[in-house]
Amino acid sequence: MIRIKFFALAGLCVLGSMACSELNPTSLDEEFLPPAPLTAEIRLGWDAFASNLEVFGGFGSPLELGSGVTARLFAGTLNARTLARFTGYPQAATVRDSAGNTRADSTLTFVGGWVVAVVDTLASVSSGPVTLSLGALQQEWDPRTTTWEFAVDTINDRRSWSEPGAGPATDLGMAVWDPAEGDSVRFAVDSAQVAAWADTLDLSRGVRLAAETEGVRLKINNVFLRLDTRSSIDPDTALVLTAPRQTITFIYDPIPAPPPDGIRIGGAPSFRTVLDIRVPDALTSPQSLCDAAGCPFALTVERLNYAAIVLRTRATPPAFQPTDTVNLDVRPVLLRSALPKSPLGTSITGGLGRRVGPDLFGSAAGAEIEIPVTQFIRDLIRGATATGATPPSTLALLSTFEPLSIAFASFYGPGSDLEPVLKLVVTAGPSVTLP
Amino acid sequence: MTLTLPGSLRSRRSAGRVALFFGCVAAVGSSSLEAQSLFNGVGLGVPTDPVDARSRALGNIGIGLWGTALLPGDPAAAAGITVPTALFTAQPSWVESTRDGTTAEARSTRFPLLGIAYPAWNLGTLTFSFGSFLDQRFSAERAVSLELQDGPLDATDEFRSEGGVSEIRLGLARPLTGSVAAGLQVGRYNGTLTRTLTRSLDGIDAEGSVLDFSASGRWAYSGTSVTAGASMNIGTVGRVAGSVTWSGDLEATPSESTEASGRAYDLPLQIRLGGTAVLAPGFAVTASFGSADWTSVSAGLGNATAQSARTYGAGVELGRAQILGRNAPLRFGYRRSDLPFALADGSPREIVWSGGFGLGLSETASVILAGVDLALERGTRSGGLIDESFWRAALTLRVAGF
Repeated sequence: MIRIKFFALAGLCVLGSMACSELNPTSLDEEFLPPAPLTAEIRLGWDAFASNLEVFGGFGSPLELGSGVTARLFAGTLNARTLARFTGYPQAATVRDSAGNTRADSTLTFVGGWVVAVVDTLASVSSGPVTLSLGALQQEWDPRTTTWEFAVDTINDRRSWSEPGAGPATDLGMAVWDPAEGDSVRFAVDSAQVAAWADTLDLSRGVRLAAETEGVRLKINNVFLRLDTRSSIDPDTALVLTAPRQTITFIYDPIPAPPPDGIRIGGAPSFRTVLDIRVPDALTSPQSLCDAAGCPFALTVERLNYAAIVLRTRATPPAFQPTDTVNLDVRPVLLRSALPKSPLGTSITGGLGRRVGPDLFGSAAGAEIEIPVTQFIRDLIRGATATGATPPSTLALLSTFEPLSIAFASFYGPGSDLEPVLKLVVTAGPSVTLP
Repeated sequence: MTLTLPGSLRSRRSAGRVALFFGCVAAVGSSSLEAQSLFNGVGLGVPTDPVDARSRALGNIGIGLWGTALLPGDPAAAAGITVPTALFTAQPSWVESTRDGTTAEARSTRFPLLGIAYPAWNLGTLTFSFGSFLDQRFSAERAVSLELQDGPLDATDEFRSEGGVSEIRLGLARPLTGSVAAGLQVGRYNGTLTRTLTRSLDGIDAEGSVLDFSASGRWAYSGTSVTAGASMNIGTVGRVAGSVTWSGDLEATPSESTEASGRAYDLPLQIRLGGTAVLAPGFAVTASFGSADWTSVSAGLGNATAQSARTYGAGVELGRAQILGRNAPLRFGYRRSDLPFALADGSPREIVWSGGFGLGLSETASVILAGVDLALERGTRSGGLIDESFWRAALTLRVAGF
């Protein structure tokens, strides 16, 4: 009896469990569906959705890039020099003595060295070999705030370079970098200069790498010091030790001014563009929408499927044209009155942002770039965020990584034929009714 | 009938059966509708009979079967139930539909009948049942290409209809004479229907930034029914029964968030007749007939039309078969039903061949204290351009105790 009841119960439960894998019958027949809703695309011009465009610069420092730039009259205008400072020298080395034993030698003598610069061959622009010059800096400088004009530019302490462009510098010689031969170039340094850089408390310590060949822009990935070293344990043995870079940055001239009529994003320090957004309560076009759903057509959260700011790329000045993909980010400005130092909300684009190829800011300028802002617009329509807070109505367009490069992205601004527009995709349909 | 069992044994058995019964109910969840079909999307859907596995196996619409039964369509059949009884039916189905050469599959499990009968002193037998009435679950899709300013955009419209109508009935059945019994049930229609149209803009390549358009409506059903029936045993050779169900309007009331209005449907009078003839000991044949004229609800059904629907069913029961030494009557049946709602291209009809058996798990003095019935049906539905074939199983668990 118990066995029979058990099997009956088990059988029933098996049948019941089938309910978990329910699959409704699905028809592909038009007769089973209610009338199709209408979906329309609307493009609002600048004056209908945005205002108060402003471009702010100065976000971040070239120091944060962790690389340098060296240029001379690139695109006829840009001069840039890489500045670097090395760490303290190694205090000891492991040396094999005359008996063949390995010992630590802490009495080292540095008899000379080489400054080695590593060039990013892909991100650099040159038509052939490039002559580079190396100099030793002679005055105190601050890697975080130094510019072409100023060695130090912190609060209450602004000191100019004696010569703009981190000069004057003690000439340490020249060398030729040939991209066909490799990615590095080196400069010989005598023992006196090596000794001068050994004092880590000396704030003037550093090297300046400059291009002597005109029309080039090189990205310097690294600069370090190779030390020719003599051991006290075995003076006949030559050692080569390394003093890696402590910091690397670059200075450049001219620093581009914010554009009066456009949108600029990126650079080092970076530019950001902010604009105020508003959304109309109702739409009065296109005609197909009015014919189907009537106008004015109330713009509601339920009806909005997609919203995007559509920008048109503009040729960036050649000296600052991107050579790699630009990642665009959009974030809400949380306190507009605090601009340009307002905190920003979380990224609307998410992840790596909207990726745009570098050619769209040069030869292929004028392309449309769509940046989705659907949730932001829905919050504006609703008048509240998902948490019930008042939604910000100002957006900041910026680089996902700030700064990423000396180059920046440019877009047409309001007043142009290619001004930004707000693209909306809306859907409306009749109410779902009973059969 | 009086059974004499030791008190302690009686209480243990009763508690065990109740635990078993409700354990199974809990295991399979609750739902009240049966059947899966594309015809669920035509008109008010597909009417579904709240019957048990025995009726299914015999091709019967649930009336005129030999012996006692708890069947909403045969109110007088409960008159002979002398001990508290509960039953529960589960019904999985597997459907393959073809329309214009396009094939779709569906599967589901429904629970078309939950019933309790309780002998109420000398009043007769009180009955309670919760059963299915109309199944309206289906979905439909269409691919559309939208012409936008940027160019064509691919999108998909999906329409989902979830829910249907079920019925709760309270009834009383009692013998009038030694061979004649009558029953009366008062029922209440209930259930909800949620219909949702969703448009997905598949063509916009902006993951996470494209939101579907969705429009939906939800309605609650309500209404009243009264079912009266009578049966007569013809000695030991047969039984005949008939019942009539009158229904008031089926009201569909929209929820507060539903823009569309509600509606009232004038449900038809349902007539059922059935009988069983015992041709030899352990050998019986059954036949049943049902009719309802649904044309009263045809107005406003869009491109669907309503018609009069008739159902015929017949079957045989071999009562002396045994499995594992226990009585396990074998059953075979055939049933043909008109579906009441059709598209313009044809009147749909369902034809079913069925088989099954029962198994008495615990039996005392000819009273089945626990039993199961199993039915397996192979059927087709066709109407216009829609053709469906399906397998459908039904399992009824029946327990009785004091």
